[in-house]
Amino acid sequence: MKRKIILLSFIVILSLVLGACAPQVEEPVEEEPTEEIQEPEEEETEEEPVAAGPDIDPAEIAASLPREETLYIAGLQWSAVVGWNPYSSANNNAMGIAAGNNARVPIFETPYMYNMINGEQIPLLADGPWTWNDDMTEVTFKLKEAAMWSDGTPVTAEDVAYTWATHVKYETTAGVGYGEYIDTIEAVDPQTVVIKAKLDEDGNAVNPLLLKAYVSSEYVVQKAWTEMLEDRTGGDATALKEDTAEDFVSSGPYTKFYDDDQKVVYIRDDNYWGQDDSMWGMLPVPMYLAHTIYADNNAGFLGLKAGEVDVSQQFNANVQDLWLVDGLPISTWMEEAPYGLTASLPTAYFNLESYGLDNIAVRKAIAYAVDYGTIIANAMTNQSPTFDQVPRSVMNPTDGEQALYDQEAVADLQWVGSQIEEANAILDEAGIVDTDDDGWRELDGQKLSYNAVCPNGWSDWQAAMEIVAAAGDDIGIEITTLYPEWGVYQTVFVNGDQQEYDIFMVWSDGAGPTQPWGRVRQLMYSQFAETQGNWNGNWGGYINPRIDEIINEIPSVTDQDRLVELYTEATEIYLTDIPSFTLMYRPDQFYTVNESVWTSYPSAEDGRNIPPMNLLDGYSIAGLYELELVNP
Amino acid sequence: MKGYLKYFSGKLVWFLITLIAAFVLNFILPRLMPGDPVAIITQRTVQGMTSQSGIQKVYEHYAEVFGTNKPIFEQFIIYMRNISQGNFGRSFSQYPRPVADIIKSSIWWTLALQFPAIIIGWLIGNTLGALAAYLKKGFDKVIMPISIFVSNLPAFGMAVILLVLFAVKAQWFPTSGGYGFDMIPNFSWDFVWSVIIHYQLPFWSIVLITIGGQAIGMRSMAIYELNADYVKYSRFLGIKDRKTIGYVFRNAMLPQITGLALSIGTMVGGALVAEVIFSYPGLGSTILTGVMGQDYPLISAVTLIISIMVLTATFLIEILYGVIDPRVKAAQTE
Repeated sequence: MKRKIILLSFIVILSLVLGACAPQVEEPVEEEPTEEIQEPEEEETEEEPVAAGPDIDPAEIAASLPREETLYIAGLQWSAVVGWNPYSSANNNAMGIAAGNNARVPIFETPYMYNMINGEQIPLLADGPWTWNDDMTEVTFKLKEAAMWSDGTPVTAEDVAYTWATHVKYETTAGVGYGEYIDTIEAVDPQTVVIKAKLDEDGNAVNPLLLKAYVSSEYVVQKAWTEMLEDRTGGDATALKEDTAEDFVSSGPYTKFYDDDQKVVYIRDDNYWGQDDSMWGMLPVPMYLAHTIYADNNAGFLGLKAGEVDVSQQFNANVQDLWLVDGLPISTWMEEAPYGLTASLPTAYFNLESYGLDNIAVRKAIAYAVDYGTIIANAMTNQSPTFDQVPRSVMNPTDGEQALYDQEAVADLQWVGSQIEEANAILDEAGIVDTDDDGWRELDGQKLSYNAVCPNGWSDWQAAMEIVAAAGDDIGIEITTLYPEWGVYQTVFVNGDQQEYDIFMVWSDGAGPTQPWGRVRQLMYSQFAETQGNWNGNWGGYINPRIDEIINEIPSVTDQDRLVELYTEATEIYLTDIPSFTLMYRPDQFYTVNESVWTSYPSAEDGRNIPPMNLLDGYSIAGLYELELVNP
Repeated sequence: MKGYLKYFSGKLVWFLITLIAAFVLNFILPRLMPGDPVAIITQRTVQGMTSQSGIQKVYEHYAEVFGTNKPIFEQFIIYMRNISQGNFGRSFSQYPRPVADIIKSSIWWTLALQFPAIIIGWLIGNTLGALAAYLKKGFDKVIMPISIFVSNLPAFGMAVILLVLFAVKAQWFPTSGGYGFDMIPNFSWDFVWSVIIHYQLPFWSIVLITIGGQAIGMRSMAIYELNADYVKYSRFLGIKDRKTIGYVFRNAMLPQITGLALSIGTMVGGALVAEVIFSYPGLGSTILTGVMGQDYPLISAVTLIISIMVLTATFLIEILYGVIDPRVKAAQTE
């Protein structure tokens, strides 16, 4: 009897194991549409945006993706794709759809591609550089005649204009984000686009920088498809933004192929207009772009080591061990530390509402005492330049930004850290001493005691906060660490009147067409102080009318010398008042590549000027045209 | 018969009361967590946006979409109404994807991983426990310490050990995923084989832990039963050992069956560790993302499913006990 039961159980289990695979196997195959796009005019009546066109099963085209035709990317996509809607900012389709400073362009395209290495905007859909009118209130550019949508119709100025009108009408993120700065976008003729700025009372553009940013940050969407989307969603703004847009029409070199909870795969559109000589003159090399959805960094790291990932956008600690110790064919942007091109400045803000932190001596002493060398060596495993290599300012380490301020003028203010003696002297001089012999200094009789806060699980930031706390011990200021969950953290620090966090970490803007102006504004603009739900910056609540004047002036300045003057002054104010302090430099995107299958990846020394941004963001996509097979 | 009816209806009433309580708690508890999920989704959306009023507009839009700007009681009414129509709402963390869709696409992986693992672990564990109790001596001396050791290993520890030994070092099995990183799901032997290979490590990481716990429980129960008076008496009567052993294990089995039913009831949320460590698709990792992202609708839906499954399992067990063991019914209907 027992034997029979065991045998029976075994059979049941085996059938369950095999059977369990079946629904999952079936499901995507039935639901997943083909890589091709429907003609909009034919099927307008459908409620749900199901993919139309011939019912081709992706598995029939490729049951397994040929390794030598597929580029595997990791570190962008952490859960299943939700949608393909260029008007939505909630597609969770990170490998393909991400508008912004370095807009991701494999599917939808922007008029220009931003190159973070030198700040250039390189024409993509656009033909030649854009131009200002004389009073800097209008940006004009032309579109390439060759530019086509995936349905074979040309990309026109009318598409660009209608995209903007849709953003405004339905209050999309782009619509409300740029609405204060852009008045209209008009099609002068089928190829010519004019972006008109909103004007202030003096008749000047409210902020010319934002017009400049728009051309490389926001996608162009087809007018005909947009009209169909509007019909389908009955003109309802929420419905339009929630539509998953499975039937999208795009202009980029890739389109969707397959996605489920474990991966997303794009396939090359071999009719892509960009093979015209006026653009790339060829198709991108990989036929497929694939992204395995790993549970966490560690799983993605194992994938990279196993050769299942070609381009890794993850923080891989001690990345050099991959080639020095493990002997793997893995490399980064640079052979030596800091290995990557750093562009953002993770920063610790002082809450100026906290007792004693409104005192500049206290802020200065803490900032001087922190051991940044250890933060960079331990938390970042040297994947950041040190503050000796790139002295602190409001600039990121890129050459373009470093050239925007006069380093000699502020050299005396640029501290490097671990200056315990100096920090103690600053406090002593300010009369902030330990009056009750408890080992901690008091200010007007009250002990100086703070928390140093960052989200739980952000291990490099946590390591940095530990070092900040240790600095407190050295100078007699009690600093304890606190690591709330991100969900909690981000509802507290965005409120201007919060009293819970004293010293807390926030990222900074990376590279983009509005930088470093955007970063200066983020670090110090008084308008953000004490606002609720503040995602913009100045989280410590710093107020300084002079820095506001500088921030308001910079966008309209075209004279390079004046610009340097203003940025130098901004840096001087920042390093003198220390409303916050940078802890390390960090890449905009991490970039580690495995050369088991593909080679000729962009790197710092190759002279090709392609930025290390996943081969997807802005001008980084040029890298897809340069790849070569290791074994052709 | 009347006694049975009274017993069943009593159980049913309690089942329904607990179910209603579960509904209310499922709604309230996730919302008591500190933090604001609307702020999380806003933050995702507004990166790079410079206009403060624009950001506020985005926030208000999402508050409206999720109804978090309404009074909590009104939210509860809407929640109940939606649930009654089988609508769990839209997910915060994977907005605008419906929660039902998220669960539908991952629950099969979890069930296929957990159900067989629990059953196999239970069968092997109980067999080993029973043998240890019966055979004693050497067998018991080996099985017991191993069982105690294995059952006390934290689930993530077992998963990591298997991962490092068999996937990273020996490279016999893949490190992550439910099927090959280069495959597109299809009905081919290659694909099925890929699924089977990817299944092994997460499966055994659960089975091994289950075996240890079950073996210990079964061994204690069986030893207790083996020394019961009825065993001594039946031996004295000269009843065959084989037959006595049959009775012994049937009696020892009762609490183990309760344990099994509860494991099956909680299995939907139980494979979290194995799924996360092996990047195995399934509800475990989805729940984790949901909790981290304060995804109320997703958390509520999953905990509701777990509550219903546990309640149903307990209810069925109680009913079954009433039938199997008349003493239980008698004690409760007195």
